[in-house]
Amino acid sequence: MADELIIDVRKRHAGGPEITAALRLPLSGHSVMVLFGPSGAGKTTVLRMIAGLDTPDSGSIRCGDDVWYDGDCGIRVPPQRRRAGYVSQDYAIFPHLTVRANTAYGAHGWAVAGLLTRFELNELADRYPRQLSAGQLQRVALARALAAQPRLLLLDEPLSALDAPARLRMRADLRQLLAGVQMPAIVVTHDRIEAMALGDSIAIMIDGKLRQVGAVESVFDCPADADVAAAVGVETICPARVVSRGADLITIEIAQARLVAVDSGDPGADVLACIRAESVTIERNPAGNPSSARNHLAARIVSVISEGPLARVALDCGFRLTAIVTRQSAEEMRLREGELVTAVVKATSIRIVPRL
Amino acid sequence: MEWQALWLSLRLSFWTTLILLAIGLPAAHWLTFSPRRWKFLVEAVVALPLVLPPTVLGFYILLAIGPHSPVGRWYAVLTGGMLPFSFQGLLVASVLYSLPFAVQPFASGFAAVDRKLIEASWCLGISRAATFFRVIVPLSVPSIVTGMILSFAHTLGEFGVVLMVGGNLAGITRTVSISIYDDVQALDYRAAMHTSLLLLGISFLVLAATYGLRRRVWAVWPMN
Repeated sequence: MADELIIDVRKRHAGGPEITAALRLPLSGHSVMVLFGPSGAGKTTVLRMIAGLDTPDSGSIRCGDDVWYDGDCGIRVPPQRRRAGYVSQDYAIFPHLTVRANTAYGAHGWAVAGLLTRFELNELADRYPRQLSAGQLQRVALARALAAQPRLLLLDEPLSALDAPARLRMRADLRQLLAGVQMPAIVVTHDRIEAMALGDSIAIMIDGKLRQVGAVESVFDCPADADVAAAVGVETICPARVVSRGADLITIEIAQARLVAVDSGDPGADVLACIRAESVTIERNPAGNPSSARNHLAARIVSVISEGPLARVALDCGFRLTAIVTRQSAEEMRLREGELVTAVVKATSIRIVPRL
Repeated sequence: MEWQALWLSLRLSFWTTLILLAIGLPAAHWLTFSPRRWKFLVEAVVALPLVLPPTVLGFYILLAIGPHSPVGRWYAVLTGGMLPFSFQGLLVASVLYSLPFAVQPFASGFAAVDRKLIEASWCLGISRAATFFRVIVPLSVPSIVTGMILSFAHTLGEFGVVLMVGGNLAGITRTVSISIYDDVQALDYRAAMHTSLLLLGISFLVLAATYGLRRRVWAVWPMN
């Protein structure tokens, strides 16, 4: 199986969870895999094992036809000979070298001038890192990694060192850059918007284990279990019971409330219902217009917290439900604590996962 | 006033510092980055001259480089000469005596280099040795300069080890501090005072120039 990065490793840190990871990344083309999970899940360790900076306890890492690590055969290729394009979280730009010298540090011949142009670093070429912003440092780090002509890029939390406005800009830029250089990449992040923006595929890592790997959309829409659902940010996760089953619809019971969902599940089964805050809408008038949404729940507002342009509304419908609406509509509807409203949830927005 | 002794001391300090640079950099690198568990033993050995009486150190060096020792015999075969009571013997003793004054600042400089920069260099395909010279050494320049100055100043003022290993041969092993001792023994306080003052002046100027020029970066101890 040439042209694939194949990882199957195990490592135990003193005092930490055992980290196991089995992944495949095609090396042809430029697909971006996001390694996603909460802090401390072991994402960075996986990236460092691929780069050759950490040694697994056992397993193997292959890149195309090359064996980078094999615990059984005692093969351990040093980072210098892997060309894995690792960029650490704080970019690790050499402070004693100019932007140009940093970019040229591991370069093979011609690449530097073109990369300085591509990353808009020509005007900064003779400056030292301490004179640069975090966004500029990130461009230097990428240019420097690419100048060494790596086989893939490993980016550890590439946007976390940036302030919020710069992060928004760089999120789009980074996606374009990655597509522009035609380089496969593994990007570690714990930010789900970053994951959605950057990734073609996603691997969810929780407590040192890979829990789900797949296309970004499918993993976000259909988390395999409750932990994955919580990790990808489905706000409401409630224990529920399947009450009845129709042709394509099932009826579930959460606390006292009954909801219709499009999913499978046998009557009587204990399940977890996952509902994204984005897919919950709030209505003032319970007896209002007919709606295509199947689920209308009487709810009392527990709290309204504004988050920038959005407002997070906590609702009590017999169970706790979170809705995210724009702050504008929250103000127009005069959503206040303690008021009674109707929460509307489409049947297709409820994801049922088996209860473990 | 013993110009000859002063010149000898300056030459001794210069060569000692140069040799310590050559030995100390790799030694400090090993001490900083080696994963060996027993490296604390080597650290202790390197630091011994800090606490050992110079006479004890000098005595062992004298035995170690004497004409009946393996080192002494090997040196005799190579050069036909003898290490004790020669400038070369003095140099060997000075290097050992000032070893911690070079290695410890070097090592603390290396240890302060951000590990991520070293790893970044490796990942860019640069070997460990090349990374040492392209990243670790340039970022440790203040510590390396500090170590060199301390070695130089320490060698300039050494007395006990020199007396044990080199004796007191004018122009060959009579360093400036021994000439001061001689003058005092001969009750020539005036000459002793002149030489002492000169040594004090030189030492102060070297240190003041260093700290004054790059006060914040080259400090041996943390400053506010």
